Amino acid sequence: MSQYSLGDIVNTRTLIAQTLLDMADNDPAIWALTSDCGGNMKSFVEKYPDRFVDTGIAEQNAAGIAAGLALAGGIPYILGMTPFVTMRCFEQNRSAISYQNLPVRIIGWVGGMTSTGGSTHYAMEDISIMRSIANMKVISISDPLMCASVLRSSGNLEGPIFLRLTTAKADPVIYSPGTQSFEIGKSVLAHDGNDAALFVHGGLVQRALTLARELEQEGIHLRVVDMWSIKPLDQRAVLDSIEQIGKIVVWEDHFMSGGLASAIADFIADAGVAPQKFVRIGIPETYPGFGPYDSLLCKYHMDAESVKRIVRQIVS
Amino acid sequence: MTDMLVALFHYGMHVDPSNIAMPTRDRFILSKGHAAVCMYIAMSLRGFFDFEEILSTYGKIDTHYGMHPCKVHLPGVESSTGSLGQGLPIAVGMALMAQQRKEAYRVFCMMGDGETCEGSIWEAAMYAGSKGLGNLIGIVDRNHQFMTRHSDQGFMKLEPYEDKWRAFGWNVIPINGHDMNAIADAFDALPQYDSDRPTVIICDTIKGKGISFMERQISWHSGNLTEEQMNQALEELKAAHMREM
Repeated sequence: MSQYSLGDIVNTRTLIAQTLLDMADNDPAIWALTSDCGGNMKSFVEKYPDRFVDTGIAEQNAAGIAAGLALAGGIPYILGMTPFVTMRCFEQNRSAISYQNLPVRIIGWVGGMTSTGGSTHYAMEDISIMRSIANMKVISISDPLMCASVLRSSGNLEGPIFLRLTTAKADPVIYSPGTQSFEIGKSVLAHDGNDAALFVHGGLVQRALTLARELEQEGIHLRVVDMWSIKPLDQRAVLDSIEQIGKIVVWEDHFMSGGLASAIADFIADAGVAPQKFVRIGIPETYPGFGPYDSLLCKYHMDAESVKRIVRQIVS
Repeated sequence: MTDMLVALFHYGMHVDPSNIAMPTRDRFILSKGHAAVCMYIAMSLRGFFDFEEILSTYGKIDTHYGMHPCKVHLPGVESSTGSLGQGLPIAVGMALMAQQRKEAYRVFCMMGDGETCEGSIWEAAMYAGSKGLGNLIGIVDRNHQFMTRHSDQGFMKLEPYEDKWRAFGWNVIPINGHDMNAIADAFDALPQYDSDRPTVIICDTIKGKGISFMERQISWHSGNLTEEQMNQALEELKAAHMREM
């Protein structure tokens, strides 16, 4: 039995630390690395100080050391802020880790604009650049228990994985514990409907579920597909929604270009299928400035009300 | 640098070409991956690879012996390299694993002095120093040349070079990188793998050593030999080799 219930608010960073500690208990190959972002890893550090690496503020070094550990038989988990674990060490992620298809797991929090720290601390390109790396899997976490599940199943998976999180300090459990299997490459049909399909990932999934219920009151039946596995992409789920509904909206806290919307657009163009409507909602090509998260979403017309407005338009 | 590569695979490192996955083997990371062809030859002379296969496939489609080494294409190579500045952090990861598992092998990492302009080298050097990775041996090919300039032209000063490594907590052994006796002495002087300091052997070298038209010539950082140049180079190397004999 899970200790969690639907709707519980979870500090995902703490859950990650607990999960890695459990995994390290059972597998001597598990290592944790960070560049001065290991505040939640205290219990891991106390129990396994010899399998914990803190490079100080040096992400390139952490990525390179992780490659060396993996070459020597380890399964390293790198923890940090998404903009820095993806961009500062992009080339190490590509040439030291992914070129050799090493089982390094890169866990980044504050995906999108969730840090509210300004554009240095926003991750608006991370999905774009990480999915451009051959061998790299790209995951966007929408539920804390999904995160724990993916981590546990990642131990035996070949090759590198990038996991993108929100601030990961207070995330709701959005799926009833035990009801989802979270298999990489398979999306979650979070809410079914037949008027339009909303493809979404990460922290916006919770908001999508709420707005879908609100639209039900207006008689609009919105399908919400949680595309947490961005690479590999669940192509079947995309085809099903195009064939069954035809009206597609992609909503993500990422540049409109290069993220999930682009992954879906690439796929449908190559597959020769054309949806009736295809609308992207995301960050335009800009450096967004400062403000509370909800205000930032409003500023760029990517808040829940904006999504509802677009859904109403395309179904009318 | 070629002298050092030959010495490493024949004397300095504990390796067995008939058992390339031997757990106790010393590991070698060629951080200056563009020197791969020299490594292939040095390893083939030790029995790792077939010399004729290198000669007949190098530069051709689907060769195992790429311009930069790739572990995926060539088992026996410990890590793919090529992008400069990335080798030492990888070597640190391997050395850290050996230290944690109390395994008695060393990790050797050969760098060019030019690539030690990369910050990632010093990030790794600082970490290795602070973790006391006595099983980590850096080797710097101190040839005083970058790709397009001599390093003594002042645009990027590496001196005081030995002091920099010492300041990062490393044991420093400076040698003439073309003196085989000095190279062997440096290996003999290495601390035990479980000592508390990484060591760097700084090899003072001359790029293109022994070939008159290449020595210290920027234009010969890379290039293709004509038949005539090749014959001249071979003659000069033979003459130098005979003298030393």
